[in-house]
Amino acid sequence: MTVEPNVQDLQNEILDLEARLQNAKSRLTLVSAPQQAPEAASPRWEDLALSADSVLAPSHALLLLSDSALPLGSFAYSSGLESYIAHNKPLPRSITPVASLHRFLRLSLASMGSLSLPYVLAAYRNPTNLETFDNDLDASTPCPVAQRASVAQGRALLGVWERAFRGAYAASSPHLSRDVGAWKGASAIEAFSDALKSSTDDELGPKGHFAPLWGVVCLAMGMDARQTAYVFMLNHAKAVLSAAVRASVMGPYQAQSILASRDLQDILAERIDLGWQTAVEDAGQVVPSLDLWVGRHELLYSRIFNS
Amino acid sequence: MPIKSPFESSIAKPGQGKVVLSLLPPGNPSLSTLTYKYPLKLITRSPDFVPQSTLASASQPVHLYLLTYGGGLLPGDEIDVSIRLEPRTRLIVTTPQGSTKIFKTETGPGRTLSDQSRQALDVQIGRDAALCYLPDPSAPFKNSRYEQIQSFTVDSTAKDSTRSSLCVLDWVTQGRTSRGENWDFHLWKGKNEIWMPDETAPSNSPLNLETEATSKRRLKLLLRDSLILSDETNAQTDIGESDQPSKSLIRERTSPHGVIGTLILYGPVFESLSSFFVDRFTSLPRIGARNWSSSAPAAAESAPHSDSKVTYTAARVRAGCVLVKFGAEDFETARDWLGGILREEGSIAREFGEEALFCL
Repeated sequence: MTVEPNVQDLQNEILDLEARLQNAKSRLTLVSAPQQAPEAASPRWEDLALSADSVLAPSHALLLLSDSALPLGSFAYSSGLESYIAHNKPLPRSITPVASLHRFLRLSLASMGSLSLPYVLAAYRNPTNLETFDNDLDASTPCPVAQRASVAQGRALLGVWERAFRGAYAASSPHLSRDVGAWKGASAIEAFSDALKSSTDDELGPKGHFAPLWGVVCLAMGMDARQTAYVFMLNHAKAVLSAAVRASVMGPYQAQSILASRDLQDILAERIDLGWQTAVEDAGQVVPSLDLWVGRHELLYSRIFNS
Repeated sequence: MPIKSPFESSIAKPGQGKVVLSLLPPGNPSLSTLTYKYPLKLITRSPDFVPQSTLASASQPVHLYLLTYGGGLLPGDEIDVSIRLEPRTRLIVTTPQGSTKIFKTETGPGRTLSDQSRQALDVQIGRDAALCYLPDPSAPFKNSRYEQIQSFTVDSTAKDSTRSSLCVLDWVTQGRTSRGENWDFHLWKGKNEIWMPDETAPSNSPLNLETEATSKRRLKLLLRDSLILSDETNAQTDIGESDQPSKSLIRERTSPHGVIGTLILYGPVFESLSSFFVDRFTSLPRIGARNWSSSAPAAAESAPHSDSKVTYTAARVRAGCVLVKFGAEDFETARDWLGGILREEGSIAREFGEEALFCL
């Protein structure tokens, strides 16, 4: 009587372990060879079904973090779009507003991928250095307009973590090996949050920039590095397109069709591949004009976005 | 401090240069070290100039000319200059050969991408010391690859009016416009960093640092201005080339400018210039965009003014550091604009003499 359930249990355990091994292997290939197509490396459906627990948990976090209702206040900023439109006005007859927006989106994603994405990934990989990354990103932010936008969203993310996500994610099953990273991420956020609250140095103390905090929060919620980078870049594209809709450049359907397009997916994958191996010391601005547009947003006579 | 080797100058690698400027009592600037090796050439001159400064610590400036044989860098050339300014000294650095020409990199079968040229400048600025570095722009020729790293370490133990001061201009043009070049190079990477010794780490003499490796660990990054103009042929060559020719990539990202630059100001010597820039920027006429529709008539343009030809921002970032970023149609426009402002404000000419503005 007692033998059969044991066999059953063992078989289940073997299946579960195999599924987790498969899952870990696929994540390893993703981390070591980012240029591979994600479809090729992701676990097969039969594995997904077997290890529903371990695979669905990060997807749940993925859905939470990619939700546009995540209260980060990203809608208040246009990432320089409003200023770009004002500086390129009137457009030559040959260029439509939508084509001009396509250009801006391309430039904005390139800049995000070269300047901020390395900090997302670095913080994801080395959560204990969060405070250094925060300082270095602050030092690399050329104007107060961009700094305010990044810090406001970073602190909002910290608030969401503390008030909403921490309860569900910080204490989750520490005995599983896959959660060692998550545990490190969660404790790095706590340490940073304490440093931020106790800091007396407004000028050079911790600021709470968005990119490194995003990396650590994603780590704490069990996301893999590729997803972390992808959602970061996709959320930025969403923010720019949402700003474009509100600035009357295009309608909401047009914005969704750009978001869904193969072109955008290719750009995101290309930018993530380029940023994947970039050390934070080598992160830099690839679109100098963007710094000028963002910095001159303050000069606009009328503004619908924060600067 | 390690004992200086008497053979130091002879063991220097090609392109290396070292300058130490100190102040002998009562106030005579003196170069205690000046070494350099081909293709780099360093020439110094002590102008007969007495600063009309409001700062009591002002001393007579020394002028350092940074030269390279041929007025530019060939593929594979590496320039590595380290400068140390002892307390209260003042140094002017200029490039008397015109723009720094970055010659093209051959990418034949036998040559590798490491044939790009590099320039590194490392300056340690002591308390009350000041650096005024207003060079000509860098002019990368078609198909060239270039990287420069300029790192400045200031003394953080000094406070307020005894802080280190620096003024650094870094600008790059689209190339030889006379030959139709328009951002046609492969790579131009420029990084400017200001470091300060971390106050939380125990350190008695922050400017007496042993080696690069040990010193970086105890330093805190104050400012990093990093610009990467790349046609992205280096990595992932296949991606992106099909839908957009990589040649236009840098042009698209710098458009509509023909010259891009950054001016970094820090410290008490440049305080009035910093405020001048920030005030000038914040009092610029508002950009009158009242209607989002592109078919609406453009807002009335302000009267022709040198500021209207140059797109710029000026902002106080961290620890009183002021960052000015600008873009202009061509080199002459940017030079006239910047030279005009620096002369109008006048503090550089008063503190360092008119020759500090030699390149402008």
